[in-house]
Amino acid sequence: MARKRERLDVIKDILKAIMKNRQIKPTRLLYASNLSPQMFKVYINELISKKFIRLDINEKDKKTFSLTKKGQEFLQEYKVIENFIENFGL
Amino acid sequence: MYLYNFIIENKELFKIIYALIIGLICMIIVIKSHKLFHLSLHKGIRYFRNAFFFYGIAFVIRYFFGTGFLYDYTGLNYQIAVGILFEYFLIMAGFFLLYSLLWKKIESSESEYLTSLFNSKIIVFYAMAAVIVFLDYIWQTYYFMFFSQIVLFAFASVLSYINYKKNGKQHKFLKFYFIAMILNLIAWSLNALAALYFNWHHGFLINIYILNIIIFLLFLYGVIKVTNI
Repeated sequence: MARKRERLDVIKDILKAIMKNRQIKPTRLLYASNLSPQMFKVYINELISKKFIRLDINEKDKKTFSLTKKGQEFLQEYKVIENFIENFGL
Repeated sequence: MYLYNFIIENKELFKIIYALIIGLICMIIVIKSHKLFHLSLHKGIRYFRNAFFFYGIAFVIRYFFGTGFLYDYTGLNYQIAVGILFEYFLIMAGFFLLYSLLWKKIESSESEYLTSLFNSKIIVFYAMAAVIVFLDYIWQTYYFMFFSQIVLFAFASVLSYINYKKNGKQHKFLKFYFIAMILNLIAWSLNALAALYFNWHHGFLINIYILNIIIFLLFLYGVIKVTNI
């Protein structure tokens, strides 16, 4: 049976999807994240409030997400964070 | 033997050095783990960081501010306050370390708290630590602290052994973590023996101090090794 994705894995998947596309529409990100719309909303709100991602709205009212500097830092440090948690059994 | 005598003759100076070594180790661990917590907001890292924050405070209070050099200039109340604060922070540090291994079974990773130092789960530990310190103060002993920490590290050793058996092949530091927990259990048992049967014998205590430094260095080794990949 597949392992349930941990909170950190979900965040990593969302940020990776944004990084891959540089800017991504909400619907595409929802598909890429593999979450339910309710859970997607929860994670996106958290990532915006923690300043990992930014919601941009253009003049035609089109919404896209992009990565902030803090989000990029998180992706770079993700392997270290994952190792730390697993090596200390946290 | 000469070295032991030299240390005993200059024990106040060595207490300061001891406080600075452990304080410095704790500071490095707190800074390194805080950086990872700041990025990940992972609760396990948060409780682990808190444990070493409290260990650092406890050792600096006891062996730096509680050194004999200051006793000439301070009253009895100061010495009692140092003893109480040392014990309180040391017990809380142990609770945080154990809770960093346990939190997943008690709270969800989604539940949010304003601060990890004071939330509805942690408040139980503050209350327990206060009761232990109060009992020790009333009876003028450290036995309640020793007993609580021996039980705590016996439990933590079992948990870290389970983690090691489960994931030890992929994550090498789990073995060292288990060893560190066992050494902690030994150190607390030796502390209890020193108080119960050896009347705080200086030579015996020096060995416990050395063991404590080894334990903290083991944690530091793990943190540096894992964060510098």
